[in-house]
Amino acid sequence: MTHTPRARRPFRRPLGRISATLAVCAALMMGAAAPALAEDDDTGETGTGTGSPSAVAAGTSFRTAGVLEQGGTATASATIGEYLYWVFPVAAGQNAEASATVTFRDHGARTGPSTWRLDLYDGLRRLQPCTAGRAEDTVDAAADTLVLDCTLRTVRAWAEPWANDPLPGAYYLRLTAVDLPEEDLGLPVEVTLEVGAEDAGGARARGGELPAPLVLTNRAGEIDPTAPADGEESEDPEREEEAGPATGAGALTEPETGWNGGWWSDRWLWTGAGGVLGGLAAIAGYTLVRRPRV
Amino acid sequence: MAAVLCGTLAALMTGALAAPAAAEPVRETDPPKVNFVLDVSGSMAERDIDGDTRMNAAKRAFNDVIDFIPEGVHFGIRTLGADYPGDDRLGRGCVDSSQLYPVGPVDRTEAKTAVATLAPTGWTPIGYALQGAVRDLGDGDGMRRIVLITDGEDSCGDPEPCEVARELAAAGIGLTIDTLGLTPADSAVREQLGCIAEATGGTYTAVQDTDQLADRLKQIVERTAEVRVETPTVVDGADECADAPLLGAGVYSDRQEFGEHRRYRVQVAPGRELRASVSVAADRPMNRDHGVLLRLLAEDGRELVRGSTAGHGRTDVIATGLRHPSDADSEETLCLEVSHAFSAPDDVQRTPGMPVELTVDLVAAADTPSDVAAFGLARGWIPLLVLTLTGLAAGILWGLIRRVLA
Repeated sequence: MTHTPRARRPFRRPLGRISATLAVCAALMMGAAAPALAEDDDTGETGTGTGSPSAVAAGTSFRTAGVLEQGGTATASATIGEYLYWVFPVAAGQNAEASATVTFRDHGARTGPSTWRLDLYDGLRRLQPCTAGRAEDTVDAAADTLVLDCTLRTVRAWAEPWANDPLPGAYYLRLTAVDLPEEDLGLPVEVTLEVGAEDAGGARARGGELPAPLVLTNRAGEIDPTAPADGEESEDPEREEEAGPATGAGALTEPETGWNGGWWSDRWLWTGAGGVLGGLAAIAGYTLVRRPRV
Repeated sequence: MAAVLCGTLAALMTGALAAPAAAEPVRETDPPKVNFVLDVSGSMAERDIDGDTRMNAAKRAFNDVIDFIPEGVHFGIRTLGADYPGDDRLGRGCVDSSQLYPVGPVDRTEAKTAVATLAPTGWTPIGYALQGAVRDLGDGDGMRRIVLITDGEDSCGDPEPCEVARELAAAGIGLTIDTLGLTPADSAVREQLGCIAEATGGTYTAVQDTDQLADRLKQIVERTAEVRVETPTVVDGADECADAPLLGAGVYSDRQEFGEHRRYRVQVAPGRELRASVSVAADRPMNRDHGVLLRLLAEDGRELVRGSTAGHGRTDVIATGLRHPSDADSEETLCLEVSHAFSAPDDVQRTPGMPVELTVDLVAAADTPSDVAAFGLARGWIPLLVLTLTGLAAGILWGLIRRVLA
């Protein structure tokens, strides 16, 4: 198969133009993607910008939970037997984890071993299992500290309503002693809590979208809402202009990637590469069987 | 052509980046109120906290806290056993509780002066004092907190303090009682104060020294000041869906006895998603195992979706939730059913029932499933191979066509 440059030219020109445009387009896309990539590589955790330790007080119930950011740290002095609640945001496609350190401040006053547990609940207050980490542990009376940690399943972008899959939104943490001698109730402890979330990677980048994150309202309800159709407008922020600052889960900040996890994943590279390879293969195939011109 | 495609793609991506924020404002409520109930009974004269009397330790802590109280928090003090030193226990000793400093914006000097006058005197009528403390707090929809500081168990028995606490909590006024015991070694005190705290969702602290007492009181005041939540609307769920109250979006509280089912109705417009969460509190001693079930029933009684959980061991609440995107063409009235599997030993009080907190939320959200993968994109070697082979086949085909045509 011999080719004459003359014969190729009419075909190469438009092809060259299209491929050039595509290349520019790809470069633009890569340019846009680069910060996202760099961020993932550099920090490992999203939203760590304000990761400095802060004394976010623990709440005593779901509604009063202390509000944390991703990468945030909280410290609280508490008593044995108290139920401590915090809440933090997790976006789709993230693996969230939390770890708590309990430091006993009773100067040896405890009388027996106690079992502590760190529970994770999703925005609908459904208990979520820990996939890794030690979320429940027992310490004896002499121990000074106890560390608990829990890693959440990868948060899905969408799930069927019947599924218990973790969805983007608020995640509640509850720390408490689940089994202890009655005599030890009320003794002082110090608790340090850390929460973080990292991108789970392209293999777990899923489709679908939850139109609103799972963050339940914290407002008092209304029995027999006046107009049944007002459900349409009751969500309008305009109607709540007399409102004060939000509390509890309502005060959560959206993760940097957005609740639905942002658009970037390495699937773009794989698919783009597939397109390029397909194009090249097409050219190769064409060249292979094209009628040789003499 | 490619440039247009590229532009569209870029626009789509930028659009995808902007997702809605979840900020949810709350209505202004009345200022939070905190009422300290201080035991001034005779036993407060004992010297066992940091080598000083319990009374002095409490006074020092109070002075610290009075300096600390933030603006906007209403503060009051009630005493128990401060006035009657005599032996007429039932006639006078057990009704010896008075308001030392009325609940309102704090005047630090006046409050401190009032505290300074206290001297250990009488009996310990805790139940009676708690009833008075609630009256002191008055009306309003803000958070209400009573902080009980005592060194002994109730010496009157009637009304029984823990039962009083449970009844006050059941009144649906958003009341929390935190208790601080100055004699942690006394098991009867611990049990009673623990019971009061448990019944109202409060905390119990075993006080070790003055610093801890002051820190703890400050922490409680801080919680009251910083965390402002609206008191849930009290609702009375029905046995049958037909009689059930109709709820809008928001938080509701109810009481549910052992073995009881509670039903509520919610109207869901097309294209909206109903989200509901329920938590049942274990406000009294319970048997070890427990569970809760929340079901959503259609108008004809068919189950649409459910949320359930079970567990064992010590817990404050057991919670579950569900979501249901409406796929109906018109507005439908659905029925939420709450049941729980708590059980308690026979000697445990049955009424009022356990506190139930139900949150109903309706969000504008059509359920839109899409491809399993993000944006339907491919990943891995197999799609790469498929795309390459497809390209190759297309190239060959085009080459053959050209060949035939030429």
